[in-house]
Amino acid sequence: MGGLRTAESLRRSGFDGEITLIGAERHLPYNRPPLSKDLLANDKELSAVAFPIKEEELRAEFLLGEVATALSLADRVVTLASGKSIGFDYLVAATGLRSRQMTFPNDLRSGRFSLRTYDDAKALRKATTSGSRVVILGAGFIGLELAATLRKLGCTVDVVAIESTPLAPILGEEFGEEVRRRHESEGVRFHLERTVEDLIGTDRVEGVRLNGGEVIECSVLIEAVGSLPNTEWLEGNELDLSNGLLTDQSLRGMCEDGTSVDELFVVGDIARFPYAHHQLPPRRIEHWNIPIESAKRVGREISHHDAPGSVADFVMGEHFNPLPSFWSDQFAMSILSYGEPKLADEITLIEGDLASAFVFGYRRKGELVGVAGIGMRREVNKLRGEIRL
Amino acid sequence: MIRIHVDMEKCQHYGQCVFEAPEIFKLNDQDKLEYLATADDAERANVQAAADVCPMQAITIVD
Repeated sequence: MGGLRTAESLRRSGFDGEITLIGAERHLPYNRPPLSKDLLANDKELSAVAFPIKEEELRAEFLLGEVATALSLADRVVTLASGKSIGFDYLVAATGLRSRQMTFPNDLRSGRFSLRTYDDAKALRKATTSGSRVVILGAGFIGLELAATLRKLGCTVDVVAIESTPLAPILGEEFGEEVRRRHESEGVRFHLERTVEDLIGTDRVEGVRLNGGEVIECSVLIEAVGSLPNTEWLEGNELDLSNGLLTDQSLRGMCEDGTSVDELFVVGDIARFPYAHHQLPPRRIEHWNIPIESAKRVGREISHHDAPGSVADFVMGEHFNPLPSFWSDQFAMSILSYGEPKLADEITLIEGDLASAFVFGYRRKGELVGVAGIGMRREVNKLRGEIRL
Repeated sequence: MIRIHVDMEKCQHYGQCVFEAPEIFKLNDQDKLEYLATADDAERANVQAAADVCPMQAITIVD
């Protein structure tokens, strides 16, 4: 998505050069949020989530199923796993994330799943039918959305997570407690402050043993324990790859010595970009709207560099400062949030009540840094303009 | 004139479009999306931005 949106932004801002989009997946770009929900629940095909592409406007070449393995900034060349080399004047790094995988003493492969791609979703759907016993490791948004979808499909669902309350590190204790209560009322079982110590089975997963010694039988184990940035291909160029790729306020890639690289831009989840307002270290944000916002900006940056003065309303060096937004549907719950609630030192219930619909405000040193609610969308939307990041 | 189509089977009423094209999209008193099916050409960029930020990819401009 980040690559496609960058190409669209380039064309809309007048860039007339050649554009090559290199993607590790064999599919054209598609929308990921439905993978854990509608696509999985209704076993839909790729066409249900594929982004529309206007080829005559985009004028881009797609290299699909091609993995970038190395970059030489000095030679301006990207090397692909297939052995091809691609030269460039400008490079956009938008390689995103991959699911983090656990390792166990009995490290069985069969029966283990994660969810990041369309192929992941199809494989998971194939393995689950009504009555399947599913263990989900991780109680973040992906884990909880999968819990809800699979429960509705008639699976038994056990969620194992290290935290004492799901989502609490992101949205606070009270919010997370209410989410847990609603999941439990739908039959999801939680095993909190627990980890999976080992897998049980000989050829495939037949169960998991928790650190308390408890055993849960299952035919499907889903690991939803976060993701890792795909930045290995950028190594060897003295770039700051300490967590994703560090960028300056214009989304140019940065070196370990603190200098920016003029021909390298970063889009999406791998971009670790600086705050405009808070004195906090630069951060990555893994929300769906970040690739869109960063792609829009980078397309305009490159068009401007390529033909200075050609891009309408372009402000050189303007601080990239998107408002992160996220949403999540789980059973009848519809969560909507803006900003970075986890920065808060003070969380207050602004409106509503926990049992039905509500809005929390998240403040840091007295300033609003996030807002989140279940239901009450207009109230949540009303507060987004007050958030400062 | 442009024509705007929202696939109401896909729409989850998140209201992200409202911020990109407030003249075209709004959430009503029940938090449900309402929109104008036609708009001036001047709104095209805003509606395109609204289509881009729709998490469910429910919005299309019919050319």
